[in-house]
Amino acid sequence: MTKPLYACIHAAEFPAQALLRLRPDLLGQPVAVLQGTPPLEIVCSLNRPARLKGVDLAMTRLEAEAIPGLHLLARSLESESAARSVLLECAAHFSPRIEDVSQANASSCVLDIAGSERLFGPPPILAARLRAALAAVGLRTSIALSANFHAARIKAAATRGITVIAPGQEADSLARLPVALLGLDIEQQETLLLWGIRTLGELAALPEPELIARLGQQAGTWRNLARGALAHTFQPMEPAFCLRETCEFETPVEQADSLLFTAARMIDCLTARAGARALALASLTVHMELTGGLVYRRVMRPAIPTADRKFLLKLLQLEIAAHPPQAAIRRLTLTADAGQSSKVQLGLFAPQTPEPSRLDVTIARLKAIAGQDRVGSPILEDTHRSGVFRMESFAVAPSQAASSCTPDAAPARMALRRLRPPVAVRVELRDLKPVAFRDAERRYRVAAAYGPWQASGAWWSAEGWNVEEWDVLAESAGSTVACLLVRTMEAREDGRSLWQLEAFYD
Amino acid sequence: MTSAAALRIQIEHSLQHRFPAALSPMARSTLETAATGIAAVDELLQGGLPVGAISEITGPVSSGRTSLALAFIARRTDEDNVCAWVDAGDALDPESAAASGVALSRLLWVRCRDTAPPALRKPWTRLDQALRSTDMLLQAGGFASLVLDLGATTPEQGCRIPLATWFRFRQAADRTRCSLVVLAQASFAQSSAAVVLDCSPLQARSKGGTVLTGFDYQVQRGRQRFNSGSISRRKPPASVWQAATAWESEKRA
Repeated sequence: MTKPLYACIHAAEFPAQALLRLRPDLLGQPVAVLQGTPPLEIVCSLNRPARLKGVDLAMTRLEAEAIPGLHLLARSLESESAARSVLLECAAHFSPRIEDVSQANASSCVLDIAGSERLFGPPPILAARLRAALAAVGLRTSIALSANFHAARIKAAATRGITVIAPGQEADSLARLPVALLGLDIEQQETLLLWGIRTLGELAALPEPELIARLGQQAGTWRNLARGALAHTFQPMEPAFCLRETCEFETPVEQADSLLFTAARMIDCLTARAGARALALASLTVHMELTGGLVYRRVMRPAIPTADRKFLLKLLQLEIAAHPPQAAIRRLTLTADAGQSSKVQLGLFAPQTPEPSRLDVTIARLKAIAGQDRVGSPILEDTHRSGVFRMESFAVAPSQAASSCTPDAAPARMALRRLRPPVAVRVELRDLKPVAFRDAERRYRVAAAYGPWQASGAWWSAEGWNVEEWDVLAESAGSTVACLLVRTMEAREDGRSLWQLEAFYD
Repeated sequence: MTSAAALRIQIEHSLQHRFPAALSPMARSTLETAATGIAAVDELLQGGLPVGAISEITGPVSSGRTSLALAFIARRTDEDNVCAWVDAGDALDPESAAASGVALSRLLWVRCRDTAPPALRKPWTRLDQALRSTDMLLQAGGFASLVLDLGATTPEQGCRIPLATWFRFRQAADRTRCSLVVLAQASFAQSSAAVVLDCSPLQARSKGGTVLTGFDYQVQRGRQRFNSGSISRRKPPASVWQAATAWESEKRA
């Protein structure tokens, strides 16, 4: 049977780390995180440079602001939640069995890594790889490996870097650590202090029956913890796979373009996490909380799932440029849906088609030029009314097998060139047939008029129509044009019908 | 050897490691063509419109320009190609396109618009949008054919399009193997156009004087580069072709 082996990951000062992992500009700067309702905010987490500056936990905002060079950030539970899921996801690459043991403002989890030596190498190498993977996603952690679950947990919380406890050396390894690591309340700590017990080694040396007789059964548990001998039933958790990144700004951001620096980092994280599962991003949802309680939400769906960070960032930039937020941004959240990475087998004789990701960017740019609803594929509506269609977003349909034989030359058809909107004209009639008409610029003499063709429909609704169409050959200034004149049958206020030049045959 | 030729050889020699034959145009004997689907026009062009080059279809309103371009696009989409229609005047009629056989799902339609209020509208807004859109689509690549519809643009405005724009379009079309078809009232691309077809209306056809059934058009080859040496001089420089109305075509079918 494989010997038990556990690795504990401990991310101290997690509220600060969760905020700083998306803020590379604050790297190495003293940062303190405040929580509470203004003006009674207190420091709940801080990084090492801040501690060196003299900042301490529970310091008030006024006291913290008096320290020069200190950056103060507001605590974001969403950022912490996102960072925690990143941590668990990263850990899941090394072991599927993970138990969350987070306490206070630290995020910790223990991995059951028994039997993983062949996959990841000896325990110290596994620990180094695990720590490097966490550092890559912006988390500074300490890692302890032990055959005992609690020994690994306590050691990781008390030390920095990587610690490997050899089997049987748990008690020696924990001996110098303070008893406060056992999670005792103040009264229990004072009792042990009165006895002169300050370290776990001193607690472990006490005789068990006498200790239990004085402090109860729980004292036996403490002693076993201090000896690194307390048994534990592992309760693995299943980390939910959620591609979500959140960043909250301490001051609302006015310029939407400046968001892209933060968004680039967030997209990096999302693509990396999806890529770790051999997935790509099928859709990207931008959710912004704006000042004044407004909410901004846009969804981008690339033609195919992609993990191309530059492409996604360009799409995001074009989307924000086309739909700028109406107020300053307080919080930015990116959520992604994972999809299978695209693997398209191109045919040797298949016709050339636009590259999907490049086409997405091109269409977004075209929409920025011509308008959102003016680029796409036309779809004919199921109606008898002429000239009715709707625009749909353009996507390259999968190529069908091209016919091997050349299609027969079908007779060409006369096409219309529509005038949008139709031009109102004044028509002269003789025997109910148009003989001439005039628009704002010129007068046309009708050489031949074919019609009338009457059409009506939807009379039961407000969109009803009742028109009379004429195909007209008209002459003006020596040139002949074929056009479509439409007469609306509903009489206007002046009793005349409305004539419109709708299209030219071309 | 003349001094110009010597100078050319000297420049080419000095740039040889960067641009082989920098000042010598590449010899091209034949040009790939794509059929328009109209037999008379294909015969006139010895195969069809060129691939990777600019073709201009010019003529006044009702000269059959749009019908010819739609027939060409229908043929291209029928071969599973993806095409684009950049519409400076927002004049394309999707029903006509579908009736001509265009697979609308494989057609990207860019409808240029006036962004200013009616009183302040300028013709350059739409033209500028159309040219920029065409540039983007050509640079993106993958489109077998692209129609730049400047049918509503007056010759005075069209002639102001810089020649450098057409030259860039020609280069991009050549690189991406895209047939760029320009619909216009007059030829704007000048030397950048590989083919110029001048269209004009001939006569309308009707049934009993009450129903318009079609139109006869004349198409004349105004210009054609890359002519192969085997062209027969007896070929007519112009052809006549017919287009039927949608209802007449359905009746025949």
